[in-house]
Amino acid sequence: MITRVTLRRTLIACGLLAITLVLAVVIMSLIGSESLPARASLCAIASLGTADCGLSRDQYDILFQIRLPRILLAAAVGGSLATAGASYQALLRNPLAEPYLLGVSNGAAVGTMIALVFFGANEWSRPVLAFAGALVATLAVYQLARGRAGATPERLILAGVIVTTFLSSVIVFVTTLMDATRIRSFTFWLLGDLSGATKTLLPVAIAMAVLGTVALTLNARSLNLLMLGERDAFDLGVEVGRVRIVVFVVASLLVGSSVAASGSVGYVGLVVPHLVRLSLGSDNRISIPAAALGGALFVIVADTVARTIIAPRELPVGAITALIGAPLFIYLLKRV
Amino acid sequence: MFAIGAGDRVVGDTTYCDYPPEAKNVAKVGDTLHPSLERIIALRPQVVLVSTASQLEVFTQQLQSQNIAVFVTDPHDLEGVFKSIEQIGRMLGQDQQAQALVKKLRERSNAVEQAVKQAKPVRVFYQVSAEPLYTAGRDAFVTDLMRRAGAISVTGEVPGAWPKYSNESALAAKPEAIILPTGGSMGTANASPAEALRNSPAVQAGRVCKINDDHLARPGPRAVDGLEEMARALHPEAFK
Repeated sequence: MITRVTLRRTLIACGLLAITLVLAVVIMSLIGSESLPARASLCAIASLGTADCGLSRDQYDILFQIRLPRILLAAAVGGSLATAGASYQALLRNPLAEPYLLGVSNGAAVGTMIALVFFGANEWSRPVLAFAGALVATLAVYQLARGRAGATPERLILAGVIVTTFLSSVIVFVTTLMDATRIRSFTFWLLGDLSGATKTLLPVAIAMAVLGTVALTLNARSLNLLMLGERDAFDLGVEVGRVRIVVFVVASLLVGSSVAASGSVGYVGLVVPHLVRLSLGSDNRISIPAAALGGALFVIVADTVARTIIAPRELPVGAITALIGAPLFIYLLKRV
Repeated sequence: MFAIGAGDRVVGDTTYCDYPPEAKNVAKVGDTLHPSLERIIALRPQVVLVSTASQLEVFTQQLQSQNIAVFVTDPHDLEGVFKSIEQIGRMLGQDQQAQALVKKLRERSNAVEQAVKQAKPVRVFYQVSAEPLYTAGRDAFVTDLMRRAGAISVTGEVPGAWPKYSNESALAAKPEAIILPTGGSMGTANASPAEALRNSPAVQAGRVCKINDDHLARPGPRAVDGLEEMARALHPEAFK
């Protein structure tokens, strides 16, 4: 009975968010540094790109080769980071657990840098090594955080800070060794930049976002029980070790694929799950899929601001998510 | 300094300085972004020449507080490059050599401008890097070089020297040619146009010009080499 109610609530919440997301994709694709005729663009989008509806060749390319891929990448990155954040928060019973603050994003960034330096030409090496970096950073933080008294929230955040700063130094070290001409583009990328939606990395990011969200939602019931504490969850029949490995691996895949495609976009994994829980409650069966959709929405809007506010120049999207995210988070902290 | 016959008085330079070859044998004080203040003080220079391309305000202040004179050049066009060569010549007592050099450079640059005068200006996109897309803006001296080479930079009015640029605006500007500063100390970096420009008139017509970055990015005498290379690449018919 309870399950059916939850299912209905999940479907309604996610349905509404999904409709908003589709609307956002369409509306944001009409906004950009170049103005496109709105009616013709809508017609072309409705035809899924099969008709040009009177758009010129350049306008068609701008819409389908540049703007929409970038918006889809924003959705994938936002969904991935918010889902990863929501599941870290449930598993670690810590409201501050977030890929960026835990150092997982930096781990993925170091992996991506190694891929760029040593396998520059091979795009596949980027998500693979980013995943490896994210997983290593996750495990390092988790091991550091486990004291004799178990992993307290404070210890976890401290471990995250240590791993983050250590990896930041690694990044500074490697960028200094890299030749000067590549440093600037790299620092921009580190702040989170969605302009490089490539044919390889975009499908990887979308596939990971969808599969990862499904995988974590399937473990949501266990995560609910884990929020009571590991021992209680174990007594209630949750395979704690297995769930922990699933969350670590899947969240690392999510963070790895999004960092490989877009650098470190901060605050998404923190702000979005909090907003979702505030409005929909903390049942992970609802909050994880809702966080995925909400995260996608958040980054799409943030990136539209980033690419239009000083057009035709651009800002890194990470600067916008932090500008919105940090004050919003302070507000949430004060309210709770 | 080497070009005006004062190369023997260079006591230190950066790892970036590789021309002429003699410059490589001078003591290195670090790269252009992270020079070592201690090593500079140890070399006891009478003056330190700084290009604000490297944006080192704090660094110049520290040098001044050590009573080391600092000479800052920040040319935004070729005329500014000539002026700083003359100023350095005057400062080092190599006035005649500097003036002779500038005279020669100016003749070459005038010759280029004469040659392309009749040609229709080409609309050019200058790609500093593809991912993310960077270009040359209003304050970059290559924007002036492009104008002299018979080209119009489609980003010539964008504020700043090296702005990050929107992929879609670059495509919408319909550049007739793309300039890729590459090679030299850049190696193979930036050797192909951005994915977004694949269907631009420039790529369709095959007018993608690779120019040695060392000649375009450094505000010295070789900027005129860069000017000549650009003009020849954009208007081959004018140099027959």
